[in-house]
Amino acid sequence: MLEKDKLRKADVFSGAAVFLFGLWVLSQALRMPMKDSWGGVMNVWYVSPALMPLFIGAVIMLLGVLLCRMGLKTVGLDAFKETLGFLVSADMRRILKSDTCVRFYAIAALFLTLVYINLPRIDFFLCAVLFLMVFITMFYFLDDCLLRRFLIFYLAGEAVLLVVFALGFHRSSGEAPSPIPDLLALAFIAAYAFYVRVQLRARPELKRKFRIGLVVSLATPFVIGTVFKYFLMVPLPREGLVAWVLDYLWYLEFL
Amino acid sequence: MIETFDIYLHSLAHFAGSPLHLAILFGSVLLGIIFGALPGLTSTLGVALLTSVTYGMDAATAMVCLLSIYVGGTYGGCYSSILINIPGTAASAATALDGYPLALKGQAGRTIGLSTTASAIGTIISMLFLVTVSPIILHFALQFTSFEFFLLAFFGILISGTLTTPDLVIKGWISGFLGLFLAMVGRDRLQFYPRFTFGIPELDSGIEVVPVLIGAFGIPQIIQVLKDRVEVGEMQKLQRIVPEFGTIVRNIPKIIRSALIGVGVGVVPGIGEDIAAWVSYGAAKNTSKNPENFGKGEPTAVLSTEVANNACVGGAIIPLLNLGIPGSPPAAMLLGALMLHGVTPGPMITFEHPTFIIECAAILLLASMAMWIVGMTLARQVVKVLRIPAPLFMPIVGLLCIIGSYALGLDLTNLYLMIPVGIICYFLTEMGYPIAPLVIGVILGPMADENLRRALMVSQGSFWPVFTRPMALGLLLIIVWLVLVQFPAVKAFKDRMVERVSRKLKRHRPGGPPLGEPRGSGPTPKDHRLP
Repeated sequence: MLEKDKLRKADVFSGAAVFLFGLWVLSQALRMPMKDSWGGVMNVWYVSPALMPLFIGAVIMLLGVLLCRMGLKTVGLDAFKETLGFLVSADMRRILKSDTCVRFYAIAALFLTLVYINLPRIDFFLCAVLFLMVFITMFYFLDDCLLRRFLIFYLAGEAVLLVVFALGFHRSSGEAPSPIPDLLALAFIAAYAFYVRVQLRARPELKRKFRIGLVVSLATPFVIGTVFKYFLMVPLPREGLVAWVLDYLWYLEFL
Repeated sequence: MIETFDIYLHSLAHFAGSPLHLAILFGSVLLGIIFGALPGLTSTLGVALLTSVTYGMDAATAMVCLLSIYVGGTYGGCYSSILINIPGTAASAATALDGYPLALKGQAGRTIGLSTTASAIGTIISMLFLVTVSPIILHFALQFTSFEFFLLAFFGILISGTLTTPDLVIKGWISGFLGLFLAMVGRDRLQFYPRFTFGIPELDSGIEVVPVLIGAFGIPQIIQVLKDRVEVGEMQKLQRIVPEFGTIVRNIPKIIRSALIGVGVGVVPGIGEDIAAWVSYGAAKNTSKNPENFGKGEPTAVLSTEVANNACVGGAIIPLLNLGIPGSPPAAMLLGALMLHGVTPGPMITFEHPTFIIECAAILLLASMAMWIVGMTLARQVVKVLRIPAPLFMPIVGLLCIIGSYALGLDLTNLYLMIPVGIICYFLTEMGYPIAPLVIGVILGPMADENLRRALMVSQGSFWPVFTRPMALGLLLIIVWLVLVQFPAVKAFKDRMVERVSRKLKRHRPGGPPLGEPRGSGPTPKDHRLP
């Protein structure tokens, strides 16, 4: 959590955002049937689906105004103007580029790319290996310089995947899903591992950590995936190359 | 009564006699202790992740799994509090104040033994309350009409917002109303009108509660731990674990008081084990003959916090099962899990599942016993997990959050919602907004919406029945008071009145301590919040 004085300044902005959100909720609620006919039933105000959203929107708006007012009252108008100036200053840009912020961007980017780009199109096991390998190598070495390099490499790889998916190369022509996304993911994993290895050439003290990270990121998806797929009978988000191999081995053994 | 006891014994024998249930019980308790012990992981997250694993189980077996991890997780936090002075969970933050100084004195084994026994006793006492208080609450709850349920849901959101906020109360309320908004997404259940769905068919059935909860609790936790790079200090040496029965016997009144505080705090909607532990710590310090020893390694302080936070578990389950209102964040997760298993908590639970509450009580007893056994025998092995660095296990937790959320509905939409909710919750946490009221809002939103409209339908749009029904009027007055007391003028008036009353009481009590000089000044929960 932020410090108290920073919190009060932030309250002015978050209060304003909350007020605008409440206003939006209210505007959406006003479009809902109040006294009109819906599904053949004539509405009265107290059964209207808009009743609760109207109440919520109004209260959120009111609380937003109160929070904004409290923030302004505490920090004063001059300090608020200073804060506005700070937001567009070079200091703010420096903060946004700070190590702590980059760590946040890295975590957010990892989750967003996993959920919105990889999981719907790439085999779960490969997605998970890539996610864990990048995540662990970024944070386990406790080196922000390396983290930045790994993040750029990872984002570049994801950009390539995004282009491939946008051009539709991952779509299958027949019944079986196309193996192209999985092969690309495999290549990406190998390239990333190679890149990390190259980066660690001058850092022998981190090589052991890399090996541990590699083992964890390769073993964990197989444990988790196998438990969910074969013991809990949960179909994985996308089953591709690795899932087919595992299926083959599993049913070869148990049939 | 005899019949209830008979069902209770039968449930105990059923669960204790089944190797599968025993394996699940001990496994879940152990997992809970590990989750609680590792700084950054919480019992809420443990319950959330295990919910997806219980998908294929029957409701009773799922409860064995989830209640055990809840009990284990609440207790497990004391390991890191005592050994490295970093609370494994917020619930054990108060334990660190005296637990760590005791460990520095070379009494880590004794302190963990005391915590283990105290936690087990706290859980058992709360279980007794669950069994005895539930029929009374159910008796009243069966007379509730829609107005009472609406007001109860509204009260739950407001009180949770008021008491869990680390900063301004208004932020707690905003958080609660944001949760209520999320609950409005989807087709409304009375007229099936799509609200805030933007024409996306996947949103028609509303937002799935459990993935949202996983996102709200899991993602911010992962970001916080890895972004801030929490450094773990040197671990104190752990000697032989001693159950400390002597200390327990000498402090029975304090144990009962702490358990009552734990159960009382647990019953209040949305208030977690952390508040129970702090309130109990404050009470123990204020009533102690040696308050100056608190903070320097006082065993009774550890005893009071550990009894209270584990007693909160049973307390939180009382409103959950009887009214459908979760008493704490992990109980909110339990509510989601129960709904997945086709059990709808609330006044009708005794009709739909007559033995369910008794079964839960039996599970609580078994879980507390399993926790004691695991704590006494495996503590020295379990503390080894404290050496695992966060950058190794946090990504795995992230992956579990993803697959767990997906597995609950086999729908990628759950994940598409979970990630933004998680990131927004992280920003809210950073800006001092509590997450518990948001979660309570998501859970109680449908209850508030449906019951308000149903009540108004019955009364033809009139609010008058609120003033004619004592329970509804009582709840309304509490809500109004809760809101008004936040205004400075009303607060000042209240303080003046309290002062006047205490002055009058003092006049009638010769020899009492002079006003403004308490016997000991205990910390308030907000004084010692986790960074």
